[in-house]
Amino acid sequence: MKLYEFEGHKILARAGIDSPFFVVVSDLDEVKQARKRLKFPIVVKVQVLSGKRAKSGGIKIVKNEKQLFSFCKESFGKSFNGEEVRFIILAEKVEIVKEYYVAITYDTVRRTPFIMFNSDGGIDVEEIQKRNPRSILRIDIDPISGPRKKDLEKIFQSFSYSSSDPERSRRRIEKFPLNSSRIRSNNIDNFIDFCQRLWDAFTRFDCRLVEINPLAVVDNKLIAIDAKVILDDNGLARHKDLDVTSKGAISAIPTERELEAKKIDSDDYRGSAGSTFIELGGDIAILASGGGASLLVMDSLIAAGGKPANYTEYSGNPPLEKVEKLTKITLSRENLCGCLVAGAVANFTDIYETLSGFIRGLKAVRPKPSYPIVIRRGGPRQEEAYKYLSEFSKKEGFDIHLFGPATPISVACKTMVELSNAYKELQVTSAKF
Amino acid sequence: MAILVDKSTRVLIQGITGKSGVQVAGELLDYGTKVVAGVTPGKGGQVVDTVPVFNSVKEAVVAVGPVDVSMVYVPPLLAKDAAIEAIENKIPLIEIFSEKMPIFDVCVVLAQAHKNQVRVLGPASVGAISPGEAKIGSIGGPNPHKVFARGPVGIISKSGGMCSEIAMLITNSGFGQSTVVGIGGDLLVGTSFSDLLLDFEGDKQTKAVVAFGEVGGSAEIEAANLMREGKFTKPFIVFMVGKFAESLPKDTSLGHAGAIVGLGYSFDEKIKILKKSGAIVVENFEDIPAAIKKVL
Repeated sequence: MKLYEFEGHKILARAGIDSPFFVVVSDLDEVKQARKRLKFPIVVKVQVLSGKRAKSGGIKIVKNEKQLFSFCKESFGKSFNGEEVRFIILAEKVEIVKEYYVAITYDTVRRTPFIMFNSDGGIDVEEIQKRNPRSILRIDIDPISGPRKKDLEKIFQSFSYSSSDPERSRRRIEKFPLNSSRIRSNNIDNFIDFCQRLWDAFTRFDCRLVEINPLAVVDNKLIAIDAKVILDDNGLARHKDLDVTSKGAISAIPTERELEAKKIDSDDYRGSAGSTFIELGGDIAILASGGGASLLVMDSLIAAGGKPANYTEYSGNPPLEKVEKLTKITLSRENLCGCLVAGAVANFTDIYETLSGFIRGLKAVRPKPSYPIVIRRGGPRQEEAYKYLSEFSKKEGFDIHLFGPATPISVACKTMVELSNAYKELQVTSAKF
Repeated sequence: MAILVDKSTRVLIQGITGKSGVQVAGELLDYGTKVVAGVTPGKGGQVVDTVPVFNSVKEAVVAVGPVDVSMVYVPPLLAKDAAIEAIENKIPLIEIFSEKMPIFDVCVVLAQAHKNQVRVLGPASVGAISPGEAKIGSIGGPNPHKVFARGPVGIISKSGGMCSEIAMLITNSGFGQSTVVGIGGDLLVGTSFSDLLLDFEGDKQTKAVVAFGEVGGSAEIEAANLMREGKFTKPFIVFMVGKFAESLPKDTSLGHAGAIVGLGYSFDEKIKILKKSGAIVVENFEDIPAAIKKVL
């Protein structure tokens, strides 16, 4: 889960990493109150999950009340890079001596955490990685012992002294006075202390990424001017006290359905259902099974000309109740013209149990779905499940089409699209008469 | 010959008295896997099926002798401690079935395993099966015979469901499998595509490998690198999914935690690099058997 900047600062603060003083506001009244706690000039920053806020005009230094209110008035509720602005922070403007870039994240190939450092803060790190990857220092961290002092010293030395450009190193020395050995050792200690705190935040709160860009030297102290934090969703279970707003799968502001779907897994670790729920623009509801198969289902449905209303999946043998809840949420969408329940041949997911959950959910949906429902599954107790399903659909009058493992997923998806199109045509025709 | 698991493999199950533990113990015994012990702290002395339960891995190993594989079947927040316990007892291969393990726990386990020269499969791995020999994990569930058959094709997938789906397709078209492995879909995994390709390269039974690739991560690229470096020389057939996700914003995470849009290479880049490195990329899932036929 990606966090807003102010949420990121909160986490860093718990590890003892300072930021400039700031106040979070969510409406103009709060701006009025907050203004009393700050002196102009104030740095105003919209809180959105997309990066590059400064470039797109989301960060501004305001000198007086008029500028402050006009910026906030304009920004609240406005879409910023496709994301509605709900929060703005008003921050103290600090005198920055020098800026750096620092981040800790995981290398998925080397399977280890690492720290990344660049002596130019405020940079677009992705740009630099492409253009001049060597200018970024990176050091792997042993997750058991944490960052080694020796390695951190190495980083510190390299940005303090090494530079092929004498003009640059002269400037740097001027800005970050290193000629006095007392101050130098102080700086080294500051830097090592800071990195250890960053590592502490990274591990203690189960982060996937902590990135400070820029990290600034202010009064000989290291201050996080910005904070980008991504939490590991699997770690959330042990941080129930963390005060962060829920985020959607795609946008910062989740839809009702996304929120409801996310809740399903939060109380029960057995299997998963709805952890990922993405609202899409189409009219065919998707209840896919399995991380891999769900991608195949989506690709196949779209290749056959279908338009999915959502992406979601359940897997890992979730209890019946989880599938029931996810079914209700997925089918609560209006104007559906089909529902596709599809997955691969399951290894250990009890198909009878999960499809019984689907039926329970289906029965509760109002108005009663008249659109075609295509089910394609295989695995433990699938035949038993299908027997039950065909009796159920006959008795209750649902338009359910069952496909077993002998039918390829792609064929089931194609059938779904054909049935859905026929259903739509019928709707149009009956509307005419 | 197969890889990872065969008839002689001696297996221990951590969390054997839990619901999934009991279930998998029965399935493995039915398939002929040598399940020699189970561990659940506080439940030592019990018996699950015919398998003796011990309070700790150490106790189990002392009582039953050396173990080749430990399977971790415990709740996600306990998986780290269980895996570390197995590592401390130098069990050479640890299959972590548990899903939703925090990534930091995973990386601690992998680091500890690396130091002790222990191999980890997973987390969130469905297991591995060498048809006609034995299996570890929940792969194939209670009815593996319907899906798997012995033969020359190795299969690798993050997804457990797709392991079975591909195996069934291959079995139904008259080919069999050497070993089918589900590596798990998490961001960090102990055994990657390329690790397994190296195993398959050295396995006489395996004549070709089929992999199910996904959007996100760089598993397929690492595999492509191995081919280019000449370290994997057998036919490599890949089917890729997740194209639809390319239209979603960067950082969107899908069913598998490792399937994150925009992380690493794009869908089309992966296909291009794979093809350039000599892999056979099939466009339709149903085309896999035809591709196998061509190379065998």
